[in-house]
This record gives sequence, C-alpha cells and structure tokens, in this order.
Amino acid sequence: MAIDVRALNFGYRGDDVLRNVTLYAPAGKFIAILGKNGSGKSTLLKLIAGMLEFRSGSISILGQDITRLHRSQRARLIGYLPQFHTPYFPFTVAEVVLTGRASHVFSVPRRQDREIADRAMTEVGIEGMRNRPYTELSGGERHLVMIARVLAQEPRIVLMDEPLSHLDLHNQSRVLNLIRKLTSAGLTVIAVLHDPNTAFAYADEFIFLKDGSLRIIEAGARPWDQMVLVDVYGTPLETIPYKGKALVMLV
Amino acid sequence: MSITAKELLLYLLPLPLLLGSLFVGPSEVVSSQDVFSWILRSLHISTLHTYDEALVNAVVMDVRLPRVILVFLTGAALTMSGNSMQALFRNPLVSPDILGLSSGAAFGAALALTIPALPLQPTAFACGLAAVGMSYFLAVNRKVVSTVSLILAGVIVSGIFTSGLTLVQFLTDPFKLQTIVHWTMGNLHNASWKKVVSAAPPIILGGIWLYFMRWRMNVLALGDEETMAVGLNPEREKILILVPATLMATASVAVAGVIGMVGLAVPHMVRMMVSPDNRKALPVSCLFGGSFLLVVDDFSRALASFEIPIGIFTTLIGGPFFIYLLKKNVFRFGEE
Repeated sequence: MAIDVRALNFGYRGDDVLRNVTLYAPAGKFIAILGKNGSGKSTLLKLIAGMLEFRSGSISILGQDITRLHRSQRARLIGYLPQFHTPYFPFTVAEVVLTGRASHVFSVPRRQDREIADRAMTEVGIEGMRNRPYTELSGGERHLVMIARVLAQEPRIVLMDEPLSHLDLHNQSRVLNLIRKLTSAGLTVIAVLHDPNTAFAYADEFIFLKDGSLRIIEAGARPWDQMVLVDVYGTPLETIPYKGKALVMLV
Repeated sequence: MSITAKELLLYLLPLPLLLGSLFVGPSEVVSSQDVFSWILRSLHISTLHTYDEALVNAVVMDVRLPRVILVFLTGAALTMSGNSMQALFRNPLVSPDILGLSSGAAFGAALALTIPALPLQPTAFACGLAAVGMSYFLAVNRKVVSTVSLILAGVIVSGIFTSGLTLVQFLTDPFKLQTIVHWTMGNLHNASWKKVVSAAPPIILGGIWLYFMRWRMNVLALGDEETMAVGLNPEREKILILVPATLMATASVAVAGVIGMVGLAVPHMVRMMVSPDNRKALPVSCLFGGSFLLVVDDFSRALASFEIPIGIFTTLIGGPFFIYLLKKNVFRFGEE
C-alpha cells in the first residue's frame, strides 16, 4: 500500500474536522477526493503530507509511519502542492522550481539538482518560460510552475490540493494528462477535485468526504450513482449515463 | 551559475574604492599627493618623499585605514542583514531599522556605554535580538504575519526602545551623554583599530553563516507552507537566518551608531542590479553594501571642512529612493 490511513481523528481546538477516517491507497493510482467545501478534504491532504499533527490514529506511507520520518525524509516520499500561492519576489521560474530540491540540498543546489529541476520543467512543459519572473505569470501558469516544483522533489506520492483551479480547459487537460503519466510511472497521486465529471473521467479511485467522515459507498452502488452524489454534495443533481459511468448535472 | 560582466564588476568594485578612500579626508596637512607618495614608498616603488613621514603614516594607518575598513564592514553588515530579513519575512519593506533592531541595539549600546560593567557587543546584540523578536511576535496573528502588522509592530518596538535610550541619556552624566548623542547620529569619525577588532568578528561570523543560508532564503521566501512541503522547518530556518542577521546589524550599530536606510534601500538596489536570487544577491549585498557606504562616507568626509555624520547622509539618500520605490509600487503595499 502506498498510503495507509487508520482511524484518523483531527480537530482545531474543540471542533472535530476529521472523524475516524480509514483509507488505503494502492501505488500507481490516481485517487480523487471529492466533497463539499469544508468537508475536510484539504485537511486530510495536509495530514497525509505531515503538515498538521493528528489527534489519534495512524498514517503510513510506503510502509513507514509518518510520525517517525524526519521532515526531509518525508519530503523525499511525499510531494505536496498547496492550494494558492502568493509570490513576493520576482524569482525566475527556474529558481522557483529548483526550491523543490530543498530536502536534498545542504547549502546550495548542485548541478545534479539543477538538471532534475530542468527535467521537471520539461515534463510539465514549461521549459520555455524558465527565465520569466514568476510574479508576472498568470495564476494558471504559476500553478504549473508549482507542479514542476513538486516533481523536482522526486516524490513517490504526490498530493495536490485543487490542482485544476485557476486553469483553463487546455491547462486542465495538460495537468490531468501529466497525472496519468505520473501514475503510469508508478507514482501515487491524490488530488482534491471540485468537478466530479473530471474526477470520473480521469481518476482510478474516489474518496468521498462528508462533514469530516468518509462516505462509504454501499455494496452494489457506484461512485457516480445519483443517490451517492446527492448525499455527498447535499444538493439536487441528476446523472446522465455516459461511457459506462455518468455525467453529473445540477438541476 | 555563470557570472556576467556586470556581476564581475560588482565583485571587483570594493578594491579601487577601498584604496581610493584612503586618499580622502578633511585634513589640510596631509594632501592626497602625500598619501600617494607614501603608498609608493611603502611598496618600495619610490624613495621620493616630500612629506612628514610620521604624520602621513599616522593619518593613513591609524585614522583612515581603520575607518575605511570599519565603514566597509558596517555597510556590508547592514545590507546583508537587510537582504536576509527581507527574504525571511517575505517582505521587501523590512530592514533592521523598521523591525526595531537598530533602536534595540542602540539602547543596548547606550546602556553599555553608561554602565561600564556591561560588555558593548553582547549587550547590543541581546537588545537588538529582543527587539526583532518582539516585533515579530507582536505581528503574528493566527500564525500569519502581514506586512502592515509587522511594520506597525516595528514602529511600536522602536518607540519603546527609543524611549529607553532617551531615559538612559537623561540619567547618564553629561560627559557620557555627549558620547551617546554623537554615536546615535551614526558616526564613524572616531573609528579606530579597537572598534574594528570589536566589530569584525561578529560581522564576519554572521556573514559566513548567512552565506551558507543564502539559497535557503529563496526557499523560505516562497512561503511557510511551501517551505514545509519541500521538507524544511520554516520556523527553524527563520531562526537560523534571523540570529546571524541580527548579529551583523547589532555589531555595526554598536560601533557606528544608527546608520539609517542602508539596510532597507541597498538590498533593493542589489536585487535590481543582479537578481532576487539570494545565491547572487547575498554576496553582492556584502560587496556593494560595503562599497556604497564607503562612497557615502567619502562624501561626508570630503564635502565640508568638518565631518557630517554619515547617518544623516544615508537617510537623505535613502529617503527619496524609498519614495521612488513606493511610487513604483514595488512593495505591493496593501495587496495581500
């Protein structure tokens, strides 16, 4: 198992954010996390990334308990793509991507690190803007830069918090195809997605969160069943059968 | 990382400036010609001498050389410190002055000048660090530090330490008072080897330390969450940068007084000239910061028959530059 989360509980002060979450993620799969705003999707991602400390339960990554891993060891296994990013200094794209190497670098990155960062830029298809100031990019382009930065980290597992927000359709498909490429290379990708249609088209597995708990799909039901989605999103919607799955429409 | 011609020029800039500054001074007894032939003679190039050997020797070796070195160290320290703090707080508006560090160090140094039992450098460092720490913790609001709250906190902390300084001045005897007042103006006229020896170790130590941290500053400048995501502890990194940056700035305040605007304005000039990449900006901050203050100091020595305190000069230059940056909206002030 790439990720093994058991009986996870988490809360800020008195409020429970996640309750008793247990899930497994096999290696080489693209897993989508779906749910309403505030259902705990981003929190779950941050917990797996080790950026928040949970109250109880356990998380193992590739068989290792994450609380026993040092930050830098963890960063070599897990790459985390934050939701928004505000730039402060006009670093070039290449310099931003290079910072992904931090867990491998003692003082200053070496040539090997720069080559890995270059490869990451090529993989995402942004090598053409390597010398452009990061501050002058559009929100979507910045997002691609941050994705390249995660890849420069060379993780085994990639966690993405809404990787498609701010992206136009062209860039959405670039990112989704890139995720496919990563999973076929054996990486595990977990992404919070807003659009269930995109998730059904691209992801291999689906995790539904509702009010901090997993919404388990009963035996016989499928993730794209109307009943499941109406319950998860708490809003009337209809599903239209499409290519063996379904398309979701608000009504 | 290849070096461009412009960078090479910046790297070599200090050499002619350090040498040239030896010729500058308000002394009417020692002319620059005298200094020139003294240098040639000391290097065994010429034996010609038409000057008072002992006098020129004393002026150059005991007055100008320690001063030039002290000025360079001070400029380098303030600029490197300012550059590091701007990266650390992700805020091009911060500097040792704005965070209250300078007032804290000035208070500490005044205290040490009044109470002989207190050692100058450690007291200035302790008070400077306390001031920066206070500004930072006052500004933290739900783990977020905004530009506005950081600057306001700095204003408050500066105010507290400045009134502390005034209190020290009020309570001290008039003889010491004069020393303290002169020194708070940012004055280098009584530079001596003793001061060089007192300031050089903390400045050089802090400089080497920051040099090793220079790329980490790039990582940290992207944000706390982004730093955590790549496997570094942002709080730990901040302390590892803040301590040497404070060490450098307080060491310079302790010997040279408050030299305003250098720590704020010069790092901007450096970033504009080379790049915001601290791998390049930090070494250039050291060399260009030192050179910048040397030139300003040369003016303050040469413009009038008496010396104008250098702190007045740097603020007069830095002020308009700061306004220019504000108008160009470099700070993205208020757009969070």
